[in-house]
Amino acid sequence: MALLSTFLADLSAGAVPSGWSTLVLTVLLTPALALALVTLTHRRRSAEIITVASVLLVVIQTLGLVAGVISEGQFSALSGFLYLDAFGALILIPIAGVGFVAALYSISYIGRQYERGVVDDRHIVRYYQGFNAFVLTMLLVPLANNMGLMWVAIEATTLVSVFMIMLYTNQGAMEAAWKYLIVATVGLSLALLGIVLFSYANTNASPSAAASGSGMDWTSMAADAKLLDPGIVKIAYVFVLVGLGTKAGLAPMHTWLPDAHGEAPTPVSALLSGVLLNCAIYGVLRFNIIASGTLGAALPSELLILLGLLSMGVAAASIYFQKDMKRMLAYSSVEHMGIVSLSVGFGGFIGLFAALLHIVNHAIAKPLMFFASGTVSQRYETKVMTEIKGVIKTMPVTGALLLVGGLAIAGMPPFNIFLSEFLVMTSGFGSGQFLAASLMILLLVVIFAGFLRHLVPMVFGSPKGPGSAVPSDAWPGEHGAGMLAILPMVILVALVVVLGFYIPQPLQTLIRDAVHVFGQGAPPQ
Amino acid sequence: MQVPLSEILTLSAVALLISTFGVVVRRSFAGWLSAYRYQSVVLAGSTAVIAYETGFWEIYAAAVLTLAVKAIIIPRLLVRVTESVKDEFKIEANPFVSIRLSLLVSALLVALSYGLLRETLISANLDVFAVTYLPVSLSLFFIGLFVMVSRRMALNQVVGLLIIENGLFLFTTALTQGVSLIIEVGILADILVGVMVSALLLVRMSQTFDSFDIASLENLKDD
Repeated sequence: MALLSTFLADLSAGAVPSGWSTLVLTVLLTPALALALVTLTHRRRSAEIITVASVLLVVIQTLGLVAGVISEGQFSALSGFLYLDAFGALILIPIAGVGFVAALYSISYIGRQYERGVVDDRHIVRYYQGFNAFVLTMLLVPLANNMGLMWVAIEATTLVSVFMIMLYTNQGAMEAAWKYLIVATVGLSLALLGIVLFSYANTNASPSAAASGSGMDWTSMAADAKLLDPGIVKIAYVFVLVGLGTKAGLAPMHTWLPDAHGEAPTPVSALLSGVLLNCAIYGVLRFNIIASGTLGAALPSELLILLGLLSMGVAAASIYFQKDMKRMLAYSSVEHMGIVSLSVGFGGFIGLFAALLHIVNHAIAKPLMFFASGTVSQRYETKVMTEIKGVIKTMPVTGALLLVGGLAIAGMPPFNIFLSEFLVMTSGFGSGQFLAASLMILLLVVIFAGFLRHLVPMVFGSPKGPGSAVPSDAWPGEHGAGMLAILPMVILVALVVVLGFYIPQPLQTLIRDAVHVFGQGAPPQ
Repeated sequence: MQVPLSEILTLSAVALLISTFGVVVRRSFAGWLSAYRYQSVVLAGSTAVIAYETGFWEIYAAAVLTLAVKAIIIPRLLVRVTESVKDEFKIEANPFVSIRLSLLVSALLVALSYGLLRETLISANLDVFAVTYLPVSLSLFFIGLFVMVSRRMALNQVVGLLIIENGLFLFTTALTQGVSLIIEVGILADILVGVMVSALLLVRMSQTFDSFDIASLENLKDD
C-alpha cells in the first residue's frame, strides 16, 4: 500500500535509480513501446521489423541484466516492487531468447499462412500486437517481487495467449481457446487464494512486514519463512501448487495443454511450451522455497515428486499412442515439466542444478521441434504423423533438423536434454529416492521408444508410399523464401549440440547462484 | 438509531448468499447478470463498511472500483457484446444438474464452508470481518465452481468465474484488509480483459458452432 507514496518520495528526494534498476524498467518498456508502435503503424512489414528489433533489444538487455546479477547478486527497482536475482535472471534468458527466434520464425510462418489464405492483413497486425504483449507479460513474471503482481502477470499471459490462439477461426482453435481460458483461470484463482494466505501468514508473523505493507513481497516472505504459521502455509502451498501447477501443465491439471499448444499458431506454440510453462513453474518454485523454509523440505518435495511422476506417466502413454504431431510435442512438454518438478523434489545441490539446467535445455529443444514440425505440416498440409513420410527426401535441411531435435527431446546422448536428465537421475539415486528414480528411467525409456516410433517413418519413410500425404509442389524452395524459417532452427540446433558437451562458465555461475536462492550452498569444488 | 456493526455485517453476508443463489436458480442470461450485479453492489457496500471501520483510504478506493467495474461496466459489456447472440443460447433449458438439485447442493456447499472453517474461526484470533465474511467467501468460491461444472451453456461458465472472483475479492479484503491498491487495479484489469476475451470468443463460437452447449466442445482429444 505504501508503494506509491514511497516511490513518489524517492522521486521528490531526487534519488536517481541505479543503472541496474533502470535496465529492469527499460527491458519492460521495450515490448510495451513495440506494442504501441505496431498498433500505430498498422502495417504488416513494419510490424515484423518492429517486433524483431524489439525482441533483439530485449535479448541484449537481458544479457546485461544477467551480467548484473552475476556481479551484484540481486537488485530491485521501483522501491522493491520489482526484483531480480539469479533465479529470475535464469528464467529471463529463455523468454528473451525464444522470443527472438520465434519472432524470426513468425515472419516466414505467418507469411506462408497469409499466402495460403489462412490469415489476412488484419490478423497479421493483431498477431504482432499479441506477440509483443505476450513477451511483455512474460517478462514481468520473473521481475515481480510482489507476488500479487506476479499473479496479475501470469493471468495476463493467459488472456494474451488465448487471444493469439483465437487468431485462427476454425472450430478446433476456438474449442482449445475456450478450454484453456476456463481451466487456466479457475486454476489461477486457486493460486491467488494461496498467495493471499501466504501474505496473511507473513503479515501475522512479522510486524515489520505488516507495518511496511510488504507482506506480499517475495523477499519479505522468504526472510520470514521460518516464522510463518505452518498450518496456514501448508494449505496455502497446496493451493499455489494446484493453481500454478495447472498453468505449468503438471498432471492431472494438464488437460487444457495439449489442445491449446496443438491448436495455436506454431510460433505461439513454441512460446507457450518453451517459455510460458517455465514462468508458471517458476512461480511454483518461488513458493516452494518459502514452504520448505516453514515446513521443512519433506512435504513440499514429496508433492513435487508425486506430480512429476504422474506428469511423466500421463505423457508417456499419450506420446506412445499419439497421432497428431503437435499434440505429441505438447505432451512432451508435460513430461519435461514433470522432470523439472521431480528434480526439485529430489533436491540437494545436484537436483536443483539439474532442474534449472533442464528448464533452459527444454526451452531450447522444444521450440526447435515446434518450428521443424510447423514447416513440415505446412508443406504436407497435415499434422497427422502417419501421413507424413520421408521428410529428409522432400526437404533435406528441415528433415535433418527435425531428426536432431527429435532425438534430443527424447533424451538421446550427446544432446543437451540427455545431460540434464542424467543429472536428475543422479540426484534421484543420490537422495535415496530409488523407487521414484527407477520409475523415471522406465518412463523415459517408454517416451524414447514412443518418439522413435513416430519420428523414424516421418523422417526416413518413402514420400510416395501408401497413406502418405502428397507434399505440396507450390513450395518456394527450402532455401529461398524459407531462409528465415531455417535460421532460427539452426541457432537452436547449435545450442542443443553445444550444451550437450559443456555448459558455458557464465551459465554455470548463474545456475549455481540460482541454486543458492533455494538455500542450497554449492558443494566444495 | 445506532445499528451495531455485527448486524450490518451479518445482513450483508446474507445478501451476498441470496444473490449467489439467485444465479443458481435462474435460467436466463439476463437473470444471472442481474443477480451478479446485485451481488457486486452488496460486495462494494461490505468493502466500504470495512474501509469505514479500519480507516484505510485504499479500501474505499477498492470499494468504488468494485462498484464501477463489477456492478456497472462488466454487466453492460457482457450485454452489449452478446447482443448478436441468439436467445436460445442464453437460456439454460436443460442443465446437467437440475435446478432443484443445484439449489440443494449449493445449500450443502454453504454448510460445508461454515463447517470447514468452524475450528479456525474459534481458535485463531481473527477480527469480526474475517469471522463473518470468510465462510461466505468460501461459499461463493464453491458455488461458482459448481455452477461452472453443472451447466451446459458456455455463458454460465463466465458467470461462474465472476462469482468465484467475487468470492476471492471478499476473502482477500476480509482476511488481509485488501492487497495494495495497485495490485487490486491489476486484478480488476485482468478480470475486465478476461470478460472481454471470453465474450468475443463466445460470439465467434456462436457463429461457428451450432450451440453454446459445452458438451459440443469435444472434438479435441487423443484417439
